[in-house]
Amino acid sequence: MTALSNHVPDPRLITAFAERRDGPLHRVNPWTKVGIAGALVLGVTVFDRLALLAALYGGVLVVYGVAGLPYRRLAGWYTLPLLFLVSVAVPLAFLEPGTPVGGALATPVGELSVTWAGLVLFLELSCRSLTVATFALTASMTTKYTHVAYMLGRLLPRPIDQIALLTYRFTFVMLETLEDLVKAALSRGANVSEFWSNKRLYARILGMTMLSAIEQSERLVKSMEARGYDGDITLYGAVSRPPAHELGIVAGSYVAVVGYAVVAGSGVGL
Amino acid sequence: MGTDPLDAGRCRTDQCRSLPRPERGVETNQIALAGIGAAASFAIFQLNIPVWGGIHMNLTGLVGILAGPLLGALIALVVNIFSAALGHGAVGLLGANTLVNASEAIVAYYAFKTLMGMDWDVFPAGASAATVGLSAGAFLMGAIIVISGVNGSALPRGDLTIAVAGLVGLNLGVAVIEGLLTGFIVQFLASVRPDLVGLTDRDAHEEPSEVTA
Repeated sequence: MTALSNHVPDPRLITAFAERRDGPLHRVNPWTKVGIAGALVLGVTVFDRLALLAALYGGVLVVYGVAGLPYRRLAGWYTLPLLFLVSVAVPLAFLEPGTPVGGALATPVGELSVTWAGLVLFLELSCRSLTVATFALTASMTTKYTHVAYMLGRLLPRPIDQIALLTYRFTFVMLETLEDLVKAALSRGANVSEFWSNKRLYARILGMTMLSAIEQSERLVKSMEARGYDGDITLYGAVSRPPAHELGIVAGSYVAVVGYAVVAGSGVGL
Repeated sequence: MGTDPLDAGRCRTDQCRSLPRPERGVETNQIALAGIGAAASFAIFQLNIPVWGGIHMNLTGLVGILAGPLLGALIALVVNIFSAALGHGAVGLLGANTLVNASEAIVAYYAFKTLMGMDWDVFPAGASAATVGLSAGAFLMGAIIVISGVNGSALPRGDLTIAVAGLVGLNLGVAVIEGLLTGFIVQFLASVRPDLVGLTDRDAHEEPSEVTA
């Protein structure tokens, strides 16, 4: 049966982990998580050694486990990042100059082989991509709905924050709508396991989802204006400042990454 | 186009008109449409379309056709922020991904408007506009990778272009499938709410009711 995919994280499951579990990372301040995410993005951009990138990825995987989050789900969610990665990095692995790994395959356009440099590049890109993806999931699955909403309101400029807040609120509603439409079609005997012979059914389901969104926005705008919406969706939650030891960890992360960049840039062997 | 779909949800009573407008440039109805439109696009991405083992679509072309270039670009940004938060978009590539998706929505909108102005039928206009928009996005994505280079790669630009060509080709294939699907969706929407694709005046349409399965 084709329905909602296991390869894409379901926001309802992500939110359930954030609301119902109580691991060590659930108690970490959301601002600290944002700070660490920034340091990680900087780190995977600056680090140019496979060992370092692999260690960073391993560290993030450990943090994911310590937070009490499921590795099996994570493996399924890696499908899409890996698909993009494979489509970019596999051709690079063949074209990258260097010593071939094993033999070369003769083709009409010349010899084809994966080089050691190409293999290392593939692994480096994998570590870079999966490190950030894993931490993003870890942060999302350990931060409560009200805290995420507050952070969206604080981090994004107007009116993008307002749009993002509505998106966050209505994502759950639209998922239910889409799921209901698929279930209704299936209960009427529809077969959605083959696309081409059911393309009009898919168009109907997706069209109804979009139509539902547009009509909900039409009703929403009336209720927003009736309540005197003045460009600010009131949030009732608040996120406090991170404690000193968490600030120290964030600052230490940035010092480590910037320090590495300075040392590596100055040509000192590490 | 007869009536801008964005005007569809605007409050029309005198009482509503007297209420304060929230933002300079982007109005309440646009914020609501962009917010829920992004939620729908994000939700649709969860659906597994059984082609080539399973593909996922944001329907960016459709979003552009229905919401227009400004809201289409804003929706692309918000969808990418949420995708990055859930690990199926990269935080470090947020800008590039948004640029690609926003260009898809913008190109699809203007292509659809042009084709409808040339008296094309809704299906071919929707399918062609979405395919052209998504293809433009695929080429832009390839160009961004080639121009910026790949961190850690020693490949010269020429070889990198060859490596990226496969990715662009794959995305062009998906663009055709998503374009055809968008054409069918636009055709369906035109049959139930023609005002959404600019075929009739919204005022002639009755009040929206709850959509059910």
